[in-house]
Amino acid sequence: MRLNVARVLPRSAANGPGDRFVVWVQGCPLACPGCWNPDTWTFERRDLRDVEALAAEVLSTTGIEGVTFTGGEPFAQARALAQLARRVRTRGLSVFVFTGYELTELTQPQHRELLALTDVVVTGRYVDAKRTSGIAWRGSSNQVVHFLSRRYGPESMLEAGALEFHLGGGSAPTITGFPVDDSWRHPFDGLG
Amino acid sequence: MSAYLTLLTPMTDQESLVAALVDLGFDLTHIEIHETPAQLVGYQGDRRVQTANIVIRRQHVGTASNDLGFLATSTGYQVFVSGYDHPRLGAGWITQLSERYQVHHDAKMERLAAAERRRLEEERKRLVEAQRQAVHERAKKMGYRVEEKREGDKLRLVLVKRSY
Repeated sequence: MRLNVARVLPRSAANGPGDRFVVWVQGCPLACPGCWNPDTWTFERRDLRDVEALAAEVLSTTGIEGVTFTGGEPFAQARALAQLARRVRTRGLSVFVFTGYELTELTQPQHRELLALTDVVVTGRYVDAKRTSGIAWRGSSNQVVHFLSRRYGPESMLEAGALEFHLGGGSAPTITGFPVDDSWRHPFDGLG
Repeated sequence: MSAYLTLLTPMTDQESLVAALVDLGFDLTHIEIHETPAQLVGYQGDRRVQTANIVIRRQHVGTASNDLGFLATSTGYQVFVSGYDHPRLGAGWITQLSERYQVHHDAKMERLAAAERRRLEEERKRLVEAQRQAVHERAKKMGYRVEEKREGDKLRLVLVKRSY
């Protein structure tokens, strides 16, 4: 089975609890105005990854606590992500999912399959008018965090990484997480 | 008077050429460098029409020799060697000179490349440090604590604020 991927980040502390392997899937039917990742909306082929190979890549990343699926809309590729989730959970990794859907909208069998393998899911459209900071793992105040397993609880949100910068390594700096305002989109302008 | 012969070479780098001449036995202090080409002199003190940027005066070339000259051109140095000196400083000698030139030129290119790599690395480090400072300053203003995690030459800065 294959997954259309926008990008991956092998280690991030701003996309769920602990250090996590983050997968941004490609394709989202919701297209929330003000979304920070509009390049992930189209369902055109971007980086087709074999799920088993991606699972091996995740499992070979040392010191991570789990995987995070974001996007794009993860539930648009629920079946492939469920396969990936199953593979990594058997090795003790947790699964965290950001979705633009409400929990009540996730009714299809493949949705249920992925939810059954998920420890935490953050649900709800991103609403630009409700943009907020100071709440863990959410970009707008209408979004809801659901703890689906007993692995995590509200206490894991207290010291959550909000925003993360990856510098050096011979590549352009990358930013991930939940920027407070638009000024964080280009934080290094003028530095050369 | 021994006429000058002109030998064309592809050598273009003065520093490597001088080093090659030293390798072939010429004393560095006897090798003249002229930004503006200087006139060559024959063995009887007669001034010749040929001019050169690198000149080894006749007394340092050999008994009864004429000045040996190298004129820089866009396609490589032209060597002026007299007919008298040509049997000793002819094609075979030019081949030896070219081989030594190539060794020095390769080493110089490698030195320059290494220096450029070091410069780029320093520039990259300065940029990363400037980016790091910028993140810290902005995070502080907005009440975030910054956790730094270094992984090889990569740096991760995680902004954390007590949340709910």
